[in-house]
Amino acid sequence: MTTELLQQAAASNQWIAIAPELLVGCLALLLLIFEIVLPKARHDVIPTLAILGLLGIIGGFIVNYDTPFLDQETFNGLLKHTGTGQFMRLFFLFAATGVCVLGTVALKRQAMSKVEFFSITLVVTGAMMLLAQVNHFVMLFVALETVTVGFYILVSYTRTNPLSLEAGLKYLIMGALSSGLLLFGIVLLYGVAGNAAFAMHTANSMHFGELRAFLYENPDNLLASIGIVLVISGVAFKIGAVPFQIWISDVYQGAPTPVTAFLAIGSKAAGFALLLILVSVFDGYQSLVIKVLSVMAMATIIFGNVAALTQHNVKRLIGLSGVSHAGYLMIGVIAAISVPYAVGAICFYLLAYMLASSVVFGVMTHVSGDDDADQDLDHYTDLAKTHPFLGAVLGVGLGSLAGIPPLAGFMGKLLVFMAAFEAGLYPLLGVAILGVVLSIYYYFGWIKAAFFPQWRPPVFEGDDPIPEPARQAVGTSARVLLATAALATVLLGFYQGPLGQWLGLS
Amino acid sequence: MTIGLNDYLMVAGLAFAIGFAGVLVRKNILVIYMCLELMLVASTIALVAFSRFNGTMDGNVFVFFILTVAAAEVAVGLAIIVALFRRRQTVQVEELNALKN
Repeated sequence: MTTELLQQAAASNQWIAIAPELLVGCLALLLLIFEIVLPKARHDVIPTLAILGLLGIIGGFIVNYDTPFLDQETFNGLLKHTGTGQFMRLFFLFAATGVCVLGTVALKRQAMSKVEFFSITLVVTGAMMLLAQVNHFVMLFVALETVTVGFYILVSYTRTNPLSLEAGLKYLIMGALSSGLLLFGIVLLYGVAGNAAFAMHTANSMHFGELRAFLYENPDNLLASIGIVLVISGVAFKIGAVPFQIWISDVYQGAPTPVTAFLAIGSKAAGFALLLILVSVFDGYQSLVIKVLSVMAMATIIFGNVAALTQHNVKRLIGLSGVSHAGYLMIGVIAAISVPYAVGAICFYLLAYMLASSVVFGVMTHVSGDDDADQDLDHYTDLAKTHPFLGAVLGVGLGSLAGIPPLAGFMGKLLVFMAAFEAGLYPLLGVAILGVVLSIYYYFGWIKAAFFPQWRPPVFEGDDPIPEPARQAVGTSARVLLATAALATVLLGFYQGPLGQWLGLS
Repeated sequence: MTIGLNDYLMVAGLAFAIGFAGVLVRKNILVIYMCLELMLVASTIALVAFSRFNGTMDGNVFVFFILTVAAAEVAVGLAIIVALFRRRQTVQVEELNALKN
């Protein structure tokens, strides 16, 4: 190893390119230091600090959005900065801010340490942001595992509650299983692409660019096909696609509500950012990838919608409906292989999904009681009367998730379906539209529970009424979050303007 | 008789399959956890074998990352299992089914 080689290697370490991730990581450490330094009574400033820090990083990121590193590789090809990557980084920062606000509301009721939640959330956010711009399998594995291990802790965060622990355990076993599949897939691809017996074999076979070139030259290698299917399976677990969705309903129910929101928004978006990158890497195996993803997408949409129909627990309901959303997004990913603007459509869909989900999860945090796992549709009775604000934003959020025009969720679905139509995916489109029709039933069941009076069994003297959790008063930061997200949902439905142009939609 | 790449891959594939089957079949969480580790180790064997065969060091370096990640996973996983055992006094999967509709 000569000094020149070392100098070259050091020159590509552009730390400034990942400054947002570094800042997020430093903020996470800073919060832990504050926990040690500050007296116990002053610990309530720490969540505020986390939210303000995130807002500061978002501000700095928006100002420096046009990075000079666009379409360049840094860190010796570990990372590649793309336009989609930039969008997803901003997306994760916003998602983390929302989750931190919900966390302050939900953690108030728990006799738990309130600081680690924010630290771990920030670390996971940083890892997700790196995940959106990976260009090398080692980077992919380490970033993905940082996200997953962070989520193990977050899901079982209320460790006095056996339900939360059980959810954490189920997530742990399924998560480790999927990491195992992903890792074996990576190993097979690495081994095949480095084998000197094949044309275009490469010494740097975990690098996405070189792997892509290799796969293009060797279009029907059995080991490489198995590797590709295994890697896609590992990512499919993250987005909750059938047949890797079995953890979704239990984990969503048991996890604390802000963590459920983070799983639904952040983890899923990270999976799709990764899937978009991987699909372009596996370009040479298009027909195989399309086949696998089409079968998964179809099964995912049908399963998610049918299973959600009978749910009474709202957390399970939103989890299973999230499965069907993953199915629609997978159609977008398949379309993105041949229609370039499908990538923008997916970004817009994710944005609309994030806004609507933060609203719905925000309302759930305020309606739920001490036991986070027990959130029934019946608890929403007369919500619109007792809490008109919560009722109104819930209506907007659920309407957007259901895809009612003119809300943002409708535009997201429309754009993804248009891209799919252009790509000629007619059978998938048929299934998707059927799924959307089915989904209206359960979303409106929820809206009905909140807005319309319901028959309740009479309470006789001497009987105790069925206990219902007390609803929380809405604090300022939560009110700002809910109002902004609901307003943005309505506005984005009418007017995409510069955002649409920037995503390449119009 | 020389031991070549295929033999190592056979061992790795077999260990991976045993681990995968164990996760699906076994009822004790600790055993399931051992099977999960077996899957990771199987990948590691294949990785080192490929690395040696292809003559690139990437695979050997990746092994260190895998070991580190696996250690972090075990630390968190065992903590969750212990905390759950304290609450429920069981590590059998069929008794851990409190989450339902």
